[in-house]
Amino acid sequence: MASKMLMGDMPELMENILNHLNKEFNSLYSCALVSRHWCKISIPILWQDPFTFYHHKPLIISQYLSSLGKDEKIGLQFMLKACKINTQFPKTIFDYASFLKVLDLYFLKCKVENWLSLQRCPKAPYNLLTFTIIKLLIKKFIESGATLQELNLDFSVLDEIQPEICYSLEQNMQFLSRLQDLSINSISSKSKFNIESLATLLKILGKATTKLNTLNIEVPHYYDPQLFHSLICIINSQKQLKQFYMSDTYGFSENLHNIISALKSQKQSLQECRIFGCKFTEVFKVLANFENLETLCVGGCKSSNNKELLKILEKNFYKINTFEVITNMGFDTLNIVQCLKKFGSLLQRLKLEAIGDDIVEQSLLLETIKSFCPNITYLYIWDIGLSAQFQELIGNLQKLQFLTLYDLDDELDEIIEEDLRRQVIQFAGRLPSTLQYLDINSSSLNSYIDILLNHCNAPLKKLIISHLDEKNAKALIEFSIRKRTLNYVGVHNVNENFKKEMEGYVTLVPYENAVISVTNKLE
Amino acid sequence: MDNGTSNSASENETITLKSCDGIEFHIDARIANRYTLLNNWNGGESACIPNVNGKVLEKVLEWCEHHINDPQLNCGDDDSRRRNTIIEEWDENFLSCDQDMLFEIILAANYLEIKPLLDLGCKTVANMMKSKSPEEIRSAFNIDNDYTPEEEEQFRKENEWAEDY
Repeated sequence: MASKMLMGDMPELMENILNHLNKEFNSLYSCALVSRHWCKISIPILWQDPFTFYHHKPLIISQYLSSLGKDEKIGLQFMLKACKINTQFPKTIFDYASFLKVLDLYFLKCKVENWLSLQRCPKAPYNLLTFTIIKLLIKKFIESGATLQELNLDFSVLDEIQPEICYSLEQNMQFLSRLQDLSINSISSKSKFNIESLATLLKILGKATTKLNTLNIEVPHYYDPQLFHSLICIINSQKQLKQFYMSDTYGFSENLHNIISALKSQKQSLQECRIFGCKFTEVFKVLANFENLETLCVGGCKSSNNKELLKILEKNFYKINTFEVITNMGFDTLNIVQCLKKFGSLLQRLKLEAIGDDIVEQSLLLETIKSFCPNITYLYIWDIGLSAQFQELIGNLQKLQFLTLYDLDDELDEIIEEDLRRQVIQFAGRLPSTLQYLDINSSSLNSYIDILLNHCNAPLKKLIISHLDEKNAKALIEFSIRKRTLNYVGVHNVNENFKKEMEGYVTLVPYENAVISVTNKLE
Repeated sequence: MDNGTSNSASENETITLKSCDGIEFHIDARIANRYTLLNNWNGGESACIPNVNGKVLEKVLEWCEHHINDPQLNCGDDDSRRRNTIIEEWDENFLSCDQDMLFEIILAANYLEIKPLLDLGCKTVANMMKSKSPEEIRSAFNIDNDYTPEEEEQFRKENEWAEDY
């Protein structure tokens, strides 16, 4: 006899079971067809995030349109008929829109476009129909009783902000009241937006959402007091914001400071902050004395006056254990050195990425890491070469588990082959006995994998390289026999022949599945 | 640093739990302290657990003992959208039992409010449904199809988009 749990006695347990299949669309589809009771529980889960996978057939749009109001349906059908699209929207068993929990306007637009293509929509009315359907669906989602958990408000998808959408949101505040993740993107992409309507929409968001875990704001590149006030209100109204991401893709906006200043209201709860396009001094002034802030990523930062930065750092405390600096605008070593001196002893994960630029004052940087950051377990460093000082640093990091070296080309190109081989041998010997993960995918060390592995005593579990050839495969097998720790090798374009050859020694996996980022853990 | 595993009982303290069929188990008091319901009953040195028989309670306690040093989840760590079907090897072996026992463990974990074990059990059942056809699921769990052919056809049609993924 079937367990009573599966027969309808304890629906909350059945829901718990099926929630584990939330991304397994095919399995949920099967479950929905098992029986009426299973259907009632599976369907809401199946329809909570149907836009995520781009390649799904866009048939969901037909089901959503079927549950539009009578007048809206007639209006839309009239428009479609004018384009020779004769689609019927029969009544559906469920109001599928009411189950929506994740809405990404960009994916919604993709699905609508795919659906129109499937209907063989002619080119001329394509945009008008796309915008019309998007607006109808957004209104439908709001009014269907759905409660969102995740929203990507990508303004590039909209041609206008209709007052009736704002009105509808105000009448159906439950739609946003349980929102946990909110992204606000591309506000600047449509300069024709009515600022009043835009600010009203953002104000409603601020009023309705108070329990966000994650807030991601792409800052508009123009200044409008109403608009900025509304964005600040969203931050201020949060009670438990844990992650905050902010970027200015249009260059340095003078307005960022006002927004990050609002973060002071999140002093108790904020755990992770990623800010792109701000001064070091501004970031550290605002984020001073945050009890729970452990992860800080600053990108594209303008250099700050070093004395001013020092003053701010000296006066305050920081509990940052994951520090990431990404820049393509000149790497300000002096600023970074000040930060490392201040909270380096707490640091466990450090990523320094200077895209298209040399790290200046390398020696000072390496010396600072060596002296002030003894607890580093994860190090990602860009364009640093294999100098004796770098090798000494690596040898000194006695807790290092993850190491990623990126783009050593320029540095190594200047060294003669024989010296380079000698350096690789020395480097391999210096790798600490704690190291489990080494990523040299984007490093010239790829040409010396055999030398590296033959002289490496670190108990590597995962190795990431760019390609495999006969020589590398042999070295990997020998290393695997000698050390017996290596489980996975991440590589681009996994070759089936090599995969077979390595079977029993190591598992070859695609690069993207193997790589570990600064916030990931080794499995 | 508090890793979420600290509790007031020491390693040597034990309490006695009695199952509904009268079987007694002497367990590390830290296990009882970790789970609210067991803890609530721990007024003295022994407690009776109605609704859970000895065979099932033994399995539940075996799991609790193995996971005694796991960090405890904070409120809000659970998010149904981020659930998955990955299970660690020990847990997979632990739940390689017959279906009746598996469901009994889930019911006991639910009753005793042992959330990680409840989730593990539910995940195991979810894995048994993965990539199966409706007919295969019905047969695996002995479920009758109560759809009319027309209803079934309409459901298939409305949810066709999910069939291939």
